[in-house]
Amino acid sequence: MARYSNFDNPNNFNNLDYTSDSSEDGLHSFNDNNNNPRSYRLTRYTRPLISYVRNEWQTNPKYAILPTTNVDTSDWPRWVQVLGSIVTAPRFRRYVVVYLSILVSCWAGWKFLLLPRLEEHAAILRALDPQVKEEVGGWFGTNALPRFDDMVQLRTLEPSLLPGEVASEFDQHSGRRLIFIGDVHGCKDELERLLEETSFNPDTDHLIFTGDLINKGPDSVGVVDLARKYSASCVRGNHEDRVLSLRHNMVAANTMNDEFLDDANMHRGQYTRERQLARELSDEQADWLDTCPVVLNVGQIQDMGHVVVVHAGLVPGVELDKQDPYSVMNMLTVDLDTHVPRASRKGTKWTKFFNKHQSLLSDSLHETFENPESMLTTVIYGHDSQSSLSLKTYTKGIDTGCFKGGKLTALVVGDGGEQNLVQVRCNDHTKQ
Amino acid sequence: MWISTSRWLPGLYGLISIMGGLAAADTTPDFTSVRTKFVKDYSGTGPSEPAEEKYFHESSFHYHYDGRYAEQELPEEDTLPHLSQLIRTYLSTMADLGAETWIMHGTLLAWWWNQKIFPWDNDIDVQVSEPTIHFLDEYYNMTEHHFDIPGVEGGRTYLLEINPNYVFRSIEDTMNVIDARWIDTSSGLFIDITAVRPDDDRRKKGDTGALMCKDKHHFDENDIFPLRNSRFEDFPVKIPFEYVKLLEEEYGPKALTATDFQDHHFNEETLVWDPATLERKRSLRRRGAVDLPVRTTPLKYKMR
Repeated sequence: MARYSNFDNPNNFNNLDYTSDSSEDGLHSFNDNNNNPRSYRLTRYTRPLISYVRNEWQTNPKYAILPTTNVDTSDWPRWVQVLGSIVTAPRFRRYVVVYLSILVSCWAGWKFLLLPRLEEHAAILRALDPQVKEEVGGWFGTNALPRFDDMVQLRTLEPSLLPGEVASEFDQHSGRRLIFIGDVHGCKDELERLLEETSFNPDTDHLIFTGDLINKGPDSVGVVDLARKYSASCVRGNHEDRVLSLRHNMVAANTMNDEFLDDANMHRGQYTRERQLARELSDEQADWLDTCPVVLNVGQIQDMGHVVVVHAGLVPGVELDKQDPYSVMNMLTVDLDTHVPRASRKGTKWTKFFNKHQSLLSDSLHETFENPESMLTTVIYGHDSQSSLSLKTYTKGIDTGCFKGGKLTALVVGDGGEQNLVQVRCNDHTKQ
Repeated sequence: MWISTSRWLPGLYGLISIMGGLAAADTTPDFTSVRTKFVKDYSGTGPSEPAEEKYFHESSFHYHYDGRYAEQELPEEDTLPHLSQLIRTYLSTMADLGAETWIMHGTLLAWWWNQKIFPWDNDIDVQVSEPTIHFLDEYYNMTEHHFDIPGVEGGRTYLLEINPNYVFRSIEDTMNVIDARWIDTSSGLFIDITAVRPDDDRRKKGDTGALMCKDKHHFDENDIFPLRNSRFEDFPVKIPFEYVKLLEEEYGPKALTATDFQDHHFNEETLVWDPATLERKRSLRRRGAVDLPVRTTPLKYKMR
């Protein structure tokens, strides 16, 4: 009882609301409380709680063995006991869980998000270092570019079709516009709706398709006719490339009108649908598609620099007339060491590589020129419907997967380089 | 319209088969069909065992000369002009026949670089489709083809020789992986011709476009077809459709970019492979007018 002698007022002490088990200790008497319940309620919180601490656990044999520690640690050194008590404390365990999960998420963020980006960034910078070119023995694009029959490598857009340098504030529809349209794939209805949405005016607007106008969708021939009707520009996509190559071979082999002979000869590429389309196209339609170049040089547009349209992509640092046509129509990624473009998705996206190249070029040009933006290239492309809309500083990907029920996208560029994006929803044609 | 066609077509087929039967009964049997020990099997099942002997042999002095037509290698400065005419005459013959052929492997890589033969490589690889090798075997095996060549007195004669083991369609026939040769009889230089065939094993497993050669190369129909038209050694040539992909798969990306190769350096100005070592600096490649060969032997049968 000597322990409690330091309490100022034993009466108040006795007014505490003890649990029933404390009464069984037989250490305290509760008589006062029982006789005077009202005074108990009134005096209950009159002193700070610390004043009621009895540290009973230190003396009471009942608490000698804690229920949480079943192992007898009395023989162990003291620091082990301390450590054991810390580890077994519930609050400590909670903290461990919280801090561990924070640590793990930090690590995962670093490992899977930040580090790969930093590494890729460093790898791209290294890949663009001219000194590394010597180490790896050369970069893509040094060969004498092979030429193919019936394929146009490069065309330049008629400069009179370009929008004006300054936006006209008085009348919105007075100026010329360029309307860049992503992969149509024979979705003619959607294309017509898109033209309505852009309030297309054939007198002032010029259509430029990013390739793959044809194949897969319901009305490839109709799309070609529409494009011809408006004297649109286009580039050669991988689907045009297949269908037109097949068609030229069928014409040369004289199998255009003979399905039996042609289809029986199966080991010439299994392109039943493409062969069918090759037959549906008239000579005029095929000739028009044949004039679509692999690379369309659009020219200077305010705020966009030098604009180029291709179907899939360009390798930075290679002249437009030295870009390999198969790669331009098919690339998705590049091999960083050699700059060899690839049609597979494994590797660094060509757009990342291209944008980095252009921004480095921009930095170096800023040192010597006042307005270097006109010397930089912006690529407008399609082909990559999986990445869908991808608008970056120097690359504008506008294939939004119309054929598979996505959208059809138009990038409208008006006077003063004013850019607008117009999209229409498409029906899913994959099930038809 | 098609109804009437379907009516008379079976009748026509019947008539043809009767006529064919009569014709066969009237004439003496075909020479090859009565031969008992012949690698080619006309039973329609094809040979079941690979040949025990190699058909094409390389000369003892160089693996890319035919020892029947030469006893030594050509001088270095003569090799390239001979190879140029060799590929030109081959391409010209196949084009005249309407027979489908295209370049592959090292020759495709040489085409990629500057549409010329690599100055260090005697090996020219071309491929044909299976109907083409059958056609060449039926009508042109062991035929000689003479060409007038500007600057070459008397021109040159080339021999088309088919390996009779081509009918054995399996890679087990490791000694006869080359299906035919186009041989320059003046020098012994030759072109290896391999037939690309449907890969029956892989097709059974569901790979519907699988192709193979007996030299163990595997392709997909869509990698090769539709063929593209380009030029090689200033002559029209056909190129596999996915040429970049095929080249990168076979040789790796560096083969498309490295400008130093086999003691040669690719000159980005002249677009020619220059010898790297000083004593060989003299230009091996003649610049200027192209000497195109002109066929003098007429071709009787055409594929189409």
